[in-house]
Amino acid sequence: MARHGRTWMLPIMGALMTTTVFAQGAMTDVGTPRSETMIVQTFDGRSSNPSAQNPLNSYAIWRGFRELGWAALWEMDTATGESYPELADGFPEVLNDEHTKFRVKIREGIKWSDGEDFNVDDIIFTFDTAFKYRDKLTNVSAITRLVDSYEKIDDHTFEVTTATPVYDFVTRMGVYTWGMPFNWVPQHVFEPLGDEVVTFQNAPAVTLGAYKIKEFDPNGFWQLWELREDWDESGWNIDEEPAVKYVYYKDFGTEETRALAFVQNQYDVDTFMSPDSIEAAKARNPNIETFSATFPYHDMNDACSYGIYINNQKAPYDMPEVRWALALALDLEQVGISAMSGQFKASPLPLADTPITNPLYVEPLESWLEELTIGDGYKPFNTDFGADLVETLAAQGVDQAQLPSGDAVEAGFGIGWWKHDPEQAAKMLESVGMAKGADGFFTMPDGSPWVLEFVIPGDWNKVLQRVGFSIADSWRQAGFNVNARQVDNGEFGTVQTTNARMELQINWSNSCTYNANWQNSWRNFRADNVLPADSNDALVQNYARIVDERIFDIVSESASLEIGTEEFVENGRQIAKYLTEDMQMINLMNIPTTIPTNSTYWTNFPKQDNFYAAPYTWWSSFKKTVTNVEPTGQ
Amino acid sequence: MGALVYIAKRFGLYLAVLFIGLSITFLLPRLMPINPVDGYIGQIQSRANGALSAEAIAELRENLENLYGLKGNLFTQYVDYMKRIVFSFDFGPSFTYFPQPVSQMLMAALPWTLSLLLTATVIAWTLGNLVGLVAGYFHKKKAASILEFVGILLYPIPYYILAVTVLLLLAYVFPVFPLSATFPVGQMSWEKVGMIIYNSLLPGITLVLAGFGWNILSMKALAVATTEEPYVIYARLKGASNWTRMTRYVFRNALLPQVTALALSLGMVFNGALLTEMIFSYPGIGLVMRAAATGGDYNVLYGAITISIIAVATAGLVIDLLYPLLDPRIRHK
Repeated sequence: MARHGRTWMLPIMGALMTTTVFAQGAMTDVGTPRSETMIVQTFDGRSSNPSAQNPLNSYAIWRGFRELGWAALWEMDTATGESYPELADGFPEVLNDEHTKFRVKIREGIKWSDGEDFNVDDIIFTFDTAFKYRDKLTNVSAITRLVDSYEKIDDHTFEVTTATPVYDFVTRMGVYTWGMPFNWVPQHVFEPLGDEVVTFQNAPAVTLGAYKIKEFDPNGFWQLWELREDWDESGWNIDEEPAVKYVYYKDFGTEETRALAFVQNQYDVDTFMSPDSIEAAKARNPNIETFSATFPYHDMNDACSYGIYINNQKAPYDMPEVRWALALALDLEQVGISAMSGQFKASPLPLADTPITNPLYVEPLESWLEELTIGDGYKPFNTDFGADLVETLAAQGVDQAQLPSGDAVEAGFGIGWWKHDPEQAAKMLESVGMAKGADGFFTMPDGSPWVLEFVIPGDWNKVLQRVGFSIADSWRQAGFNVNARQVDNGEFGTVQTTNARMELQINWSNSCTYNANWQNSWRNFRADNVLPADSNDALVQNYARIVDERIFDIVSESASLEIGTEEFVENGRQIAKYLTEDMQMINLMNIPTTIPTNSTYWTNFPKQDNFYAAPYTWWSSFKKTVTNVEPTGQ
Repeated sequence: MGALVYIAKRFGLYLAVLFIGLSITFLLPRLMPINPVDGYIGQIQSRANGALSAEAIAELRENLENLYGLKGNLFTQYVDYMKRIVFSFDFGPSFTYFPQPVSQMLMAALPWTLSLLLTATVIAWTLGNLVGLVAGYFHKKKAASILEFVGILLYPIPYYILAVTVLLLLAYVFPVFPLSATFPVGQMSWEKVGMIIYNSLLPGITLVLAGFGWNILSMKALAVATTEEPYVIYARLKGASNWTRMTRYVFRNALLPQVTALALSLGMVFNGALLTEMIFSYPGIGLVMRAAATGGDYNVLYGAITISIIAVATAGLVIDLLYPLLDPRIRHK
């Protein structure tokens, strides 16, 4: 009995010792040296399908595949908004005036993670497979509808003919913002499977990036990547060996346990931790840093922006006066302070105001915004929004040293937003026959009650949930009878695509102009993508319910313009003007991304004053972070 | 003959419960305001950076409806569903993680849920009932009040608060356990088994703490009432010892409702313990069900709920069949 007892204790003691070593920081809990391992919180928490690694189907996308595993023909430099070749050898050659035929060269000497050569045969095989099983594979429609035909020229050259003229071939076949729409698969692994390719799990996947899968948790909590010995022959085209030997994606659980683990230096980069938790963690560990040392602290460079999407087809929202009234009744300063402690960047145009979009759209339209008049000549734009916010935050006790001053105010809080003017809002409503009733709420033009149905995310997006309730509160104070309905993400998607169920919704899907290529976001504003106001059919793409013929014309005309030319960008500005002057969507702010880092083991993370890449661990550009961070020697 | 009729009646009722349960299970997810096809299209569109054409989306929608078995009217889908469940216990593929079979997802998660929850439930039940029995039998003594106090203290604490407090104490202030466990993978060894047990201790302790307060209180109440029964007083007058009266007279008679509660709670463990899984990063069926509910993954929901219905109904059947063995009064009837 005593012997059995001792045998039983051994594994327990072993486990305790392992944990003790882990706590001391020498090794991770997956047995890699902590000093060589970068540990990041997963984007989606736990994955329910960790063994699904076949990119031709739905797969465990948030486990580092885009960031470390796959490689693109053309990757995006997220610091500049410019594409650069990765697998490709230079940019594609356009072979005809219609922009439907392209020749692509790929670099020689690239190898898959199992040592096999990567060449055009893999690309042709991927095309063949996608087309052959297009009705059975769930992640190939991006390619089967874009490409009409393809042809191998030699081992490192192929040609593609597209179904329609394409001027953004590089980002349609490569990366626009955060990842590729489809991925190349290794012919030598997939071909022997025959028809079983449609159910193939592909775990562990053979990949092209500089890292390969070392181990993954079949329960979906973690995945460990290891630097390839032949990293210089990977698809990444890098010259220097990364200092990071292992990248460990792990779900550290609820926000409470994450904050505690972060304080204990158990990992290096978090994702979407709330400002309150970050503040608490910073107070306990000086190595924990936000994206910026001063307000608004967090990263504001996401491609999309948060806005209130309006069903422009449904009364009374079909009247610009009503939409403007909603914008002017909204106290964004108060919303931002109560929902996000003032840590946000306002954006009045229907896109995010970033260092990339600012010189293209925002700065050229600044004076237009200042001069814009509505109704009886009222000027709605408030250029002092940022300065006012600084003043309010200071009055609320925020340390002056933490607040921006001078030009930094505009860089931090944006160029301005709409005035908070409930009186003007009331005037606009009264001009279309909507006055306040006996209950103090505005009514419909015929005097019947007007209840605004405002759909916001539930706790799956806590930032927007808070923002949504604050907006509803702001409107209610101004006399709007709002029903703010928080929904799960499944229902959120259904409301987004169903006209009959949508009045007002916080959203970001159609305000994702990342660089000069505004078509990527706004090409969906076209007559084909409009359904009747009471339709229950699924809407395609035009989730902002834009019905402005002027915009449809510009989108159509721009389809045959070279991306990035002055004429093309000017067309984008014109769309932004139309959307704004009629308040077709109420853009609110850049997406504030809280992405705190812990510099105990690694330094040189992307920061506001060191912006060499977007700091997100779930974008393919995370490879820049992995190859640029430096060990502290701990 | 009477016994056979009793068993046949109970079994018929069991089948009826299963049929009704499965039929409701089929309808419920379809009443949710979520469309799984839209959800997946949204993901794909996001991956394509918004660049999917309307034609590509239409093609994807058509394919997905075919692959997910969402074509045809509701009745056809219902018949197909019942056929698959009854004849081959096949729930089809997950919509969200197509083409992964639902059975594979559930089978991967169930052992974790069952081993943790069954163990914790049985320990909490046993401990709670023993403490409750002593507290109830000796309810006039001071020490019994202290035992009751433990139950009163633990029972009303919301599970989330209790779990976070235990985590804070035993993983942060006194870091005996990991904050978020990492379960080993690959070929099992004794060391790995030890790691799994060690990593399961913290959620296990929390579940036991959360469960046994109720058992203390309910057993104590039953024991107090039973102690006053004439047959217990008679036994005392006959000179039976405290131990005999407590175990053979009070415990056996107070046990029946507790056995029912145990059987029902064992049936419920198939639902998983979502909060436990979330707080302690513990793999299990609760998180699978949560993801399925938010993503409108009908098939995964069918699978998980069906297993749960079968478990609860079977637990009820087993109780019905066991009662006559445990209680001579029922046997006599």
